[in-house]
Amino acid sequence: MVLGAAAIFISFATLVRAQDAPPPKVTIGFVDIDGDPRHEPIRAYERMILKAREHPFVGAKVAIDEAQALSRALKIDFALERITVKSADAIAAAVMQAREKGNIRFFVVDAPADAFRPLAQAMKGRDVLLFNATAADDALRRELCSREVVHTLPSLAMTTDGLVQHLVSRKWRDILVLQGPEPADAAMTRAFEASAKKFGARIVGKRDFKPGTDPRERDQNNPLLLTTLNRDYDVVFIADDAFDFARALPYRTQRARPVIGAIDLEPVAWHWTYERHGAPQLNSRFQRAASGRRMESQDWAAWIAVKMVVQAALRTGSADFAKLRGFILAGNGFDGYKGLAVSVRPWDQQLRQAVFLATPNAVIASAPIDGFLHRVNTLDTLGDDEPETPCKLNR
Amino acid sequence: MPVDRRSLCLAALAIVLVIAPAAANNTGLIFVSNEKSNNLIVLDPKTHKVVKDIKTSRRPRDMHFSADRSQLYVACGDDDVIEVIDMAKLEVVRRIPTGNSPETFAIDERRRRIYIANEESSTLATIDIDKGIIVHEVPTAGEPEGVLLSEDGRIIYVTSEVGNLVHMVDTEGGHVINDVVVGTRPRRFAVTPDRKELWVTAELSGEVYIIDREKFVVSGKIEFLPPGMRKSDVTPVGLVMTADGKTAFVTLGHAAHVAVVDVPTRRITGYILVGKRPWGITLTRDERTLYVANGLGDDVTIIDVKSRKALQSVPVGRVPWGVIIDD
Repeated sequence: MVLGAAAIFISFATLVRAQDAPPPKVTIGFVDIDGDPRHEPIRAYERMILKAREHPFVGAKVAIDEAQALSRALKIDFALERITVKSADAIAAAVMQAREKGNIRFFVVDAPADAFRPLAQAMKGRDVLLFNATAADDALRRELCSREVVHTLPSLAMTTDGLVQHLVSRKWRDILVLQGPEPADAAMTRAFEASAKKFGARIVGKRDFKPGTDPRERDQNNPLLLTTLNRDYDVVFIADDAFDFARALPYRTQRARPVIGAIDLEPVAWHWTYERHGAPQLNSRFQRAASGRRMESQDWAAWIAVKMVVQAALRTGSADFAKLRGFILAGNGFDGYKGLAVSVRPWDQQLRQAVFLATPNAVIASAPIDGFLHRVNTLDTLGDDEPETPCKLNR
Repeated sequence: MPVDRRSLCLAALAIVLVIAPAAANNTGLIFVSNEKSNNLIVLDPKTHKVVKDIKTSRRPRDMHFSADRSQLYVACGDDDVIEVIDMAKLEVVRRIPTGNSPETFAIDERRRRIYIANEESSTLATIDIDKGIIVHEVPTAGEPEGVLLSEDGRIIYVTSEVGNLVHMVDTEGGHVINDVVVGTRPRRFAVTPDRKELWVTAELSGEVYIIDREKFVVSGKIEFLPPGMRKSDVTPVGLVMTADGKTAFVTLGHAAHVAVVDVPTRRITGYILVGKRPWGITLTRDERTLYVANGLGDDVTIIDVKSRKALQSVPVGRVPWGVIIDD
């Protein structure tokens, strides 16, 4: 009887304590840079915006909103905190502070490739996981090769591999390459050349273009001259990050050939017209949250980053950083709303995923294209496969 | 909940109708909803010729008969309505407004209610059938999909594709009373005839989860892999069970097969090749024939259950979603 009373007392006490303790909370930081030039709109004239290029914060927000309904079932709270810094140099300190003061361990990082080098250095060996949602540079996956970084945006190599797979599957093997003056254009061209070599497409001509109207440079700024070649080609690939030249190239070529790359058929992580795998629902959730803006690749990369953390909590039933990190990096599949489950490659921590080949109004194909096979996972026909990469994480 | 004399009468009537299948039309007509051509294609059960093309609102998906089979309800996702089709005339006679993007639903004739999952607004709505208005909405986790009403009408189960959950909703109180975590992107339900187990397809993880209804916990799961297919192509969505509770048939989406499962042992006993991306699946009342809607093949595969062979494919509308048979 006495024992029974004691037992009741103890269980009651535990009950009170359980009710008092707030549920564990997982907070995800979203770090971006005020005035990041990559997010400046591309304009034709002041009020003619060609590309809005907004920060992908809404993508992360949609994912955290989706998580709210899970909080009840999981008894774990989820929150998103936006941390905007003044310059790329300030990111490492801001992340460190959020880690110490705000107990934040997961960060979606919206910063250019250059910002990742000091950041990865400062975070080396620490208990944080940074999601690269906006920098496609292959160097981050190859040379930087950081254990603290997961890349949710497809690498350049993945996108150009997807594009070339489509060309080869159509037997459009002969390609004229036009490269713009920006470093980003050079990187894109390098990736495209590597993809062409990998899948057996031929680059039959390569020219540098220079936007302008100077008649002395007309061989570099005239679409007709740039696309006149003493042999035929199937498509024109253009690398033009600034977009202004590419937008006026289609229908101005010397031969009646499609233009791809920076315009018309673009390899993307996400597209607003994708109709399968639940994509319309995600697109409409995003559009509602973003006052009508359409979801783009970087938004998707931010969305899936947050979703991976939430799913890790759901599957492990835990809010513990080490467990969540372990789950995310263990190659587990996540629902990315684009068919084949997405998962993290152990060797360079790039998220393996489908790449859409999209025109402005339709997803024409989803790479990996049928017929491109891989011994393990066809998604690994896109980008750096294990034997190819210099990055050997998690070995 | 206040109960007036009229609803009691209706309830009594509904019970009579439920236990009197003689009221069925027994036409054997096969109805296929087509998401992109916005119509129901009606097939003759013997010749499988199209006997009627019923125009509906946009994106017709889930369909259910009224208990007396005088009416067919069809949820039209892009126009936010449930349309009521008169079975004698084979035309739309009424429209009941729903929430945003209705997909699947369940009818409780006794209480004169429809429970419907609204994919876009992430709610389970309760609609008063007679008044044609939403009387209650329960917030769910993202993208609610499959709904299933318990035999006594007190509980409704709802899957959430985003949440990877099955919610258990109290229909009287109008709130979620429990959740259980299942596989990735849970879609549709079936109940074992002994009422003990709830089977749920998990599209992206390629499994069927089995939930013990009394304890409301996962008590098992079945993974599918037809020979020669990739695991990632196995995307189960539709499922149906025989009345003796021995056999279940599960459509495997991109794997283009129907899996045959021995229910008591939970073992897969075979795979039947069908068309492109099968989702909806229905058994005839005599359980001799299966009809499978191939969403990306614009056709329906007809399967002989005994020999487990596909007999024929019949073209229907664009993106067929589900099949229901008036037998």
